[in-house]
Amino acid sequence: MTALSIIRLVAWRDFRERARSKAFIISTGFTLVLVVAVAIIPMFFTDDEPPVYQIGVLEPAPGLQDQLDVALADQATAELQSYATQLDGEAALRDDTIAALVTPDEIVLGPSADARLRTVLPLTLGSMDLLERARAEGLTDTQVAEILAAAQFPTRDLEPEDESETENRLFAFVGTVLLFISLITYGQWITIGVIEEKSSRVVEVVLGTVRPRHLLAGKMLGIGSLGLIQLTLIGLAGLAALAATGDVAVPAAAGMTVVSVVLWFVLGFGFYSAAFAAAGSLVSRQEDAQNVVFPISMLLIVAYFIATTGLAGDNPALRIASLVPPTAPTTMPLRMVAGDAAVWEIALSVTLMVTATWLLVRGAARVYAGGLLRNGRRVRVREALRTAQS
Amino acid sequence: MLELVDLHKRYGDVVALDGATFRVGPGQLIGFLGPNGAGKTTAMRAVFSLVQPDAGTVRWRGQSITRDVLLRFGYMPEQRGLYPKMRILEQLTYFGRLHGMSKSAATQAGTRWLAELGLGERLDSELEDLSHGNQQRVQLATALLHDPELLVLDEPFSGLDPIGVEAMSEILRSKADSGAAVVFSSHQLDLVEDICEDVVIINEGRIVLDGAVRELRARSNRRYLDVEVTGDDIPWDQVIPTARVLLEDGRRTRLEVDRGVDLGAVVSGLSGRTDIDHFSFEPPSLSEVFLEAVGA
Repeated sequence: MTALSIIRLVAWRDFRERARSKAFIISTGFTLVLVVAVAIIPMFFTDDEPPVYQIGVLEPAPGLQDQLDVALADQATAELQSYATQLDGEAALRDDTIAALVTPDEIVLGPSADARLRTVLPLTLGSMDLLERARAEGLTDTQVAEILAAAQFPTRDLEPEDESETENRLFAFVGTVLLFISLITYGQWITIGVIEEKSSRVVEVVLGTVRPRHLLAGKMLGIGSLGLIQLTLIGLAGLAALAATGDVAVPAAAGMTVVSVVLWFVLGFGFYSAAFAAAGSLVSRQEDAQNVVFPISMLLIVAYFIATTGLAGDNPALRIASLVPPTAPTTMPLRMVAGDAAVWEIALSVTLMVTATWLLVRGAARVYAGGLLRNGRRVRVREALRTAQS
Repeated sequence: MLELVDLHKRYGDVVALDGATFRVGPGQLIGFLGPNGAGKTTAMRAVFSLVQPDAGTVRWRGQSITRDVLLRFGYMPEQRGLYPKMRILEQLTYFGRLHGMSKSAATQAGTRWLAELGLGERLDSELEDLSHGNQQRVQLATALLHDPELLVLDEPFSGLDPIGVEAMSEILRSKADSGAAVVFSSHQLDLVEDICEDVVIINEGRIVLDGAVRELRARSNRRYLDVEVTGDDIPWDQVIPTARVLLEDGRRTRLEVDRGVDLGAVVSGLSGRTDIDHFSFEPPSLSEVFLEAVGA
C-alpha cells in the first residue's frame, strides 16, 4: 500500500459518504434554488429597454430626426410628432404624450424630459442652427466642419484609468471572497468530519493501519474537493441563470490572472483546512467544534478585511499581509494581478506559504494523532504534541 | 511470533507499562489478564504503534513493526467504533482495502463474514440501524476480514450474551487452530480458563505471571481442600494447624492449605471423629491464581 493509495481511499470514503448524506443533498439543492432565484428575480423588476422620446414639432424640421438619431446613438430613440398650434403642443406636453416641444423660438420641456434629453435636444438644435447660419454667411460645409473640429477641446484624465487593471483586481477579489466563503463553510466540514471519527471512536481502528498524516491528508482532500465541487456547481448555476437573463458581464480575465487566483486559492485552502482538521482533533464532541475553530475563523476574517482594502489600490498593510502565510492567500492575488507585487515578493510569499503549510500539515498530524486517542475533555495543543507519535 | 520486549510507558506521573515482556506464538490463544489500569490496553495499543513506548520494542517475526506488517494484523479495540452512518458491507470493504485487499476480494470476504455472523440479510443496512450485539459482530468482522496473522482483541467478550460468548470463543479458537497468533484481554477468568491454554497476567505495568494455565495453577503453593462431613464441628486448628478456613457452610468447609500438607494425616485425623462424605484437594482456580498474583 503506497501512501498515495491510502490517502485516495480515505479521501474517496469521506467524499462519498458526505455526498450521500441527506444534509449535503438538501443544502446543495436549497442553495442552488436560492442562487438561481436571486439571479432571475431582478429580471421581473428592471426594464432595460432604451427609452423612446416623443418630441413635438410645430413645423417640419428637415434633418432633425437624423441629427437626433446620431446624437442619441443607441442609448435612446426619438420620434417626432407634428402639432398644428403651440396650444395643441403644450396640451400634449401637459398630458405627457410628448416629452418636449420644439417651436421656432424655443424648446419647451415637459415633466417627463430626463437629463439626457435636456442635454441632447438643445445641443442638437443649436448645432443645426449654427450650421444654418454659417451656410447663410456663405461658408462651405467643409469650412464649417473645420471650425467645429477646432472648437473640440482635447480633454484628459490626470491619471489614466486602466480598465483591465481594475477588472483584474475585481476578479482577484472575487477569488478572495470565494476562498473566504468556502473556507468558512468547508473548513468546518473538515473539523466536523474529524470530530465524527473521534466521537464514534472508529479512529482507533483506522489508525491501526493508517498513519495519522495520511488520514488527515485524505480527509482534507475528500471533504475539501466535495466542498469545491459544490461551490463550482452553485457558481455555474448562478452564471447560467445570469446568462439566461442576458445580464452577464464576466470580465475577460487574462490567463495569468486566472492562474494566480487559482494558485492562491489552492494554497490558501490547503493551509486553512489543515488548521481546521487539527482543531477538530482536539475535541471529542460536536458541541465543542465552534470553540476550537473560533481562532481560525477570526484569522480568516482578519485576512479577508485586509484584502478588502486592496480593492482601492496598494497600501502598506496590504504589502505586509501579502507576504506572511495566514493573510497571503487573500491579499497576494490582488497585488499580483494589479502588477503591484515585485517578483521577489511573490517568490518569498509563495515559499513562506508552502513551507508553512507543510509544517502545519505535519504539526496538525501530530496534534491529530495525539488528540485522537484522548476522549472526554478538550486536549491542549501542547499536550497533544507531547503524547503524539511522530 | 509477536514479542513485546521490556516496554516502558508513562503518562505524566502515571506508569502504564514498567518493563512488560511477553510473547504470543503462532497457533497460540493467549488470555491477557490484569486488573483495571494494569497496562493491558496500553500494551495492545503499542503493538499497533498507536502508543509510542518510552523504551522497549515490539517485534513481529523478529522484525520491528512497520506499516506493511500492520496490514497483516487484526485489531478490535476496547472502545468499539465504526462509522455509524456507513453501510456495513461498504464499511467492511473499506477496512479490507485499508489492509491492502483488492476491492473485489474485500467485498467477497466482507459478504462471507457477515453471512457467517448472521448478518447476510443486512449488507446494505447502516451500522447505526443494527442492534448493539450486531454492531459488535460487524466490529469483529472488521478485525477478521483480511485473515490476519495476528489478532489482538481488547475485551472481546464484554457486553456479549451467552450465545455471543460461545460464538466468539469458537471463532478465536478456530483462528488460533488455523495458525494465527491470538491474544485477547478479559476480566471473565472462568471463561479464559475454559478456552485458553495460556495466559499472561499483568499488574502495575509488569508481567507477573506467564504460562500455561494448568502449570500456573500447579505451581502455586496453595491448595484448596473441600470437605463435607456428617457429625460434629471439626476443630480444624487441631487437624491442620496451618489451614485457613475460607468458608464454613453447614457441614461443608473450604480451606486453604499449603501445597505440601500431609493429606494422609488429615484424612486419618478426620476419620477418627466423623464420616467423610466429600473430600477434594485442588490447586487454585485461575481466578485464585490471578488474585494471588496481583496481590489482592
